[in-house]
Amino acid sequence: MAKNSKKIIEQVLQVRLSQMLINEEYKNGKFKIPIHLGFGHESISVAVSNIMKKNDELILSHRNASYNLARIKKLKPIIDEYLLKSSGLMNSKTGSMNLINPKLGIIYSSSILGNNFSVAVGVSMAQKISNKNNITIVLGGDGSIEEGSFYESLLMLKTLKLSSLIIIENNEWSMSTKINERRHSIDLKKFSNSLGIKYIKMKNNNPFEYIKTLTKLRIQCIKEKTPIVIEVFLSTLGEWKLMTTDFPNGKLINYHAGPTPSVDLEKCQIKIRENIDDPIYVIENEINGKIEDLVKPILKKLKSEIK
Amino acid sequence: MKYLDFINKQICKTVLKPKKIVLFGQNITAGSHLGGLTKKLQVNDKSKIINSTNSENSLCGFGFGLMMNNVSSVFFMKQLDFLLLGIDHLVNTYNIIRSTKNDLKSSFTIMPIIVDNGYQGPQSSFNNFADICSIARIPGYAISTKFEAEKIISEKLISPGFRIIGISQRLFKNEINELRAIKRNKNLTLIQYAKGSNVTIVCFNFSFSIGYELLQKFHERKIKSSLFNITSLVPISWKTIIEDVKKTKNLIVIDDSKSQNVACDNLISQILINNNLINVQIIRRSIDDNWLKPNLDNLEINVSKIIKKLSN
Repeated sequence: MAKNSKKIIEQVLQVRLSQMLINEEYKNGKFKIPIHLGFGHESISVAVSNIMKKNDELILSHRNASYNLARIKKLKPIIDEYLLKSSGLMNSKTGSMNLINPKLGIIYSSSILGNNFSVAVGVSMAQKISNKNNITIVLGGDGSIEEGSFYESLLMLKTLKLSSLIIIENNEWSMSTKINERRHSIDLKKFSNSLGIKYIKMKNNNPFEYIKTLTKLRIQCIKEKTPIVIEVFLSTLGEWKLMTTDFPNGKLINYHAGPTPSVDLEKCQIKIRENIDDPIYVIENEINGKIEDLVKPILKKLKSEIK
Repeated sequence: MKYLDFINKQICKTVLKPKKIVLFGQNITAGSHLGGLTKKLQVNDKSKIINSTNSENSLCGFGFGLMMNNVSSVFFMKQLDFLLLGIDHLVNTYNIIRSTKNDLKSSFTIMPIIVDNGYQGPQSSFNNFADICSIARIPGYAISTKFEAEKIISEKLISPGFRIIGISQRLFKNEINELRAIKRNKNLTLIQYAKGSNVTIVCFNFSFSIGYELLQKFHERKIKSSLFNITSLVPISWKTIIEDVKKTKNLIVIDDSKSQNVACDNLISQILINNNLINVQIIRRSIDDNWLKPNLDNLEINVSKIIKKLSN
């Protein structure tokens, strides 16, 4: 395995394992604050972190854990922030949903759906007016594109000719409801194209392909002074049963929520199930099934960090 | 000089100072230029004036994004009620920024026109500038006089941080009031224009012209008045006015806003309490520098202390 490939794989595993360790603490009731993990978001998070250059800026949503972990490559400052310790990444000022890391380019995270798109427009305009040859990357979910601010912000980004990547994570779930149970589908390609904005679809969660694609798009949006919309299909790997009077036999929910996933980290059980969209499954295919050898040292290092 | 012309002149002078600034808003460089508020705006080479889209919510986020990335901006807005669309940013985005960034070097100012001429039907109903400031303890300044226009625009329009500066459409064509202030607090939220021994007049929102008229009528009748204008409610100390009322024993409060909860109620309650006219205990949160950090959020009370303070 090439050295650089190994580095990327280790980063993906580190983000997954860090989230699992956080989740175990969450289940033990260690945190007073709400935490929104991003199981299944590891490949896109690592890819975004790897394509960022100095002075590029990243604007996140409440589901920012995987991106913060991918950028800082450590667990302790994040978990300390979640525990509201002064040793936390933001000295306990933000907790989870608004966690940022300005030194590494994460300058804003919003807990309000759709709120961060327009802030990204301003951030990108400031880059332009300061003659910085950089981009702004803004993250949102499939729910956030229902907000009016998404339309307003895309229109402003295009009108003002701002170099930016708008990454929409589509997991097809909204809490315990499938998107198609709740609303009509949105053709994001047509929507973006109607504003003259290029649309790219990414799927399969292969971090190497994602890095390759995003690197090209980063250069393109700087060269053409334009926003580009990227829709990433992923699964949040929750897999739990919702028991209500409407669903006496339980309804399968594939959306991460506090108690899930149920795993045994001692057995290196880091895949939630055989899901071809799971970044871990993708990595396993890349390295011919020797994932445990890579997992053990990373897990040991992370555990010693937070001991 | 007319109220609007003077304010426009002050804005034009101030926005020329910074090397980098973005001025934006709908039709600020077209048509009537917001009734004349933004006419003849000019900025330095590295700055930009944007005749923007009709996206009030996102335009608020845009200004905050510019500010957090070290570029100052002013968002000129035709009507205060348009700002209702941006409340998410006024509360959430502003709170996130001020809880995480202690070293802001740039500014974001929203400058709405308060549509208080009464002839725009429902749109004229929202005329209480303090309402929009109170929602997230936003520094706000309502300009009524020449003194306020000079000081507030020169000291606040482009100083680091966020604020809202409101102006009154009803006053646009009036000659600007040139009465000079005799006292002001540091934040320019409480300004005293006259000192007298018989009555204390305090004006809220855009009611200063009524207070000034009373001052003149009282003067004709040898009644000596103190006259104050409150440009904003949050946060404010009423000490100067309370001391004045203790001497005059007469208080006239004028508030032209239409909301149910009005800023003058806050002053009245403080005066009643401070003059021992009633025994009141106000149980509310004490807000310190950590009020935006994740916390337990309980309002704590000391029952024995409360009982001890009750009058028999």
